[in-house]
Amino acid sequence: MGFLHLFIVNKSGGLILHRSLSSAAPQIGTNEWLRIGSTFHSLHAIAAEASPVKLPNNKNSNGAQDGIEQIEGGGVILKCLQTRTGIKFVITAEPGTSDLDTVLREIYVLYSDCALKDPFYELEMPIRCELFTNSVDSLMKRVVAGEVMMR
Amino acid sequence: MSSKMQASQAGQALWSKMPKANAELFALTYGSLVTELVRDYEDPIEVNAQLDRIGHSIGVRCVDELLSKADVAGMGLATQCQNLRDTAEVVAKVGFKMFLGVQAEVGGFSQDQRSFSIYLQDNPLATFVELPAAGDEQYNGDDLRKLKYSNLYCGVIRGALEQVNLKVECNIVRDTLKGDEVNEIRVELKEVLADGAGDDYKEE
Repeated sequence: MGFLHLFIVNKSGGLILHRSLSSAAPQIGTNEWLRIGSTFHSLHAIAAEASPVKLPNNKNSNGAQDGIEQIEGGGVILKCLQTRTGIKFVITAEPGTSDLDTVLREIYVLYSDCALKDPFYELEMPIRCELFTNSVDSLMKRVVAGEVMMR
Repeated sequence: MSSKMQASQAGQALWSKMPKANAELFALTYGSLVTELVRDYEDPIEVNAQLDRIGHSIGVRCVDELLSKADVAGMGLATQCQNLRDTAEVVAKVGFKMFLGVQAEVGGFSQDQRSFSIYLQDNPLATFVELPAAGDEQYNGDDLRKLKYSNLYCGVIRGALEQVNLKVECNIVRDTLKGDEVNEIRVELKEVLADGAGDDYKEE
């Protein structure tokens, strides 16, 4: 069990951050990341349209309100949080890892606290903000140590 | 409906978790910003536009802070905002409270439910401000009557709502600095922007 990767996709499908969260995570090149980011963005959009079931409270005339929330495979779980501002936070982990949701929400808070408040960070652009990456690292440490309590 | 209650409680809870800054420092910083703009642009109409622009850049960023923190704190705002009424409540009761520590009131919905007013009793931006009286030659009083000192709010609201696909127009229609008994910001919904991947603002 353990976290593998984190990536963030902006609302137009551009990858704005990718980061491996443990040494066990497979190495992936930057070009592949960009591809993964935009592919995921498209799949997410298609998934929302293609959903055959209309859930209660769904205001869309067809399809789901949200696209991919989770993908489970033999060796990996992928969890996605799309914010109402259209940013997707995606985390991958080994099967059996818990609290992915909480971690994603915490990362969203860190993003709004660290990246967005940097006056030189431009919206929609790749995040190159040390404060943010450091905070993510220390969040991961706390999660692994079991200190982040699940609300 | 209990949403009124909920929103103000959520605002209170979020406010209590925010790091606080000195209110005087805040008011003075904003004051120096405005006077600097007045000096640079001379034309108060242009100053209003600049304040709106600055506010917009703040708004597009701070909306994520509100959404993320409300979510983590389990406010359950995620499922709300089915209509403009809910949105107005959240802006006034959660947004203003969370970032400024003051509670705003909502009212004055138009017939078609597409515009509303936000009323602010206290305006933390204008704590020490007295606009020069009209006819005051020395301070250019006549001209400064056109200045919308707190126009930053309009930009912030516009920016924040734009990020959740609501295009609005904001205007300060009453201002305590000009002798009105309350500050009133009029917000008018122009358009609900559609998004390729579905209406983001509605989803969970």
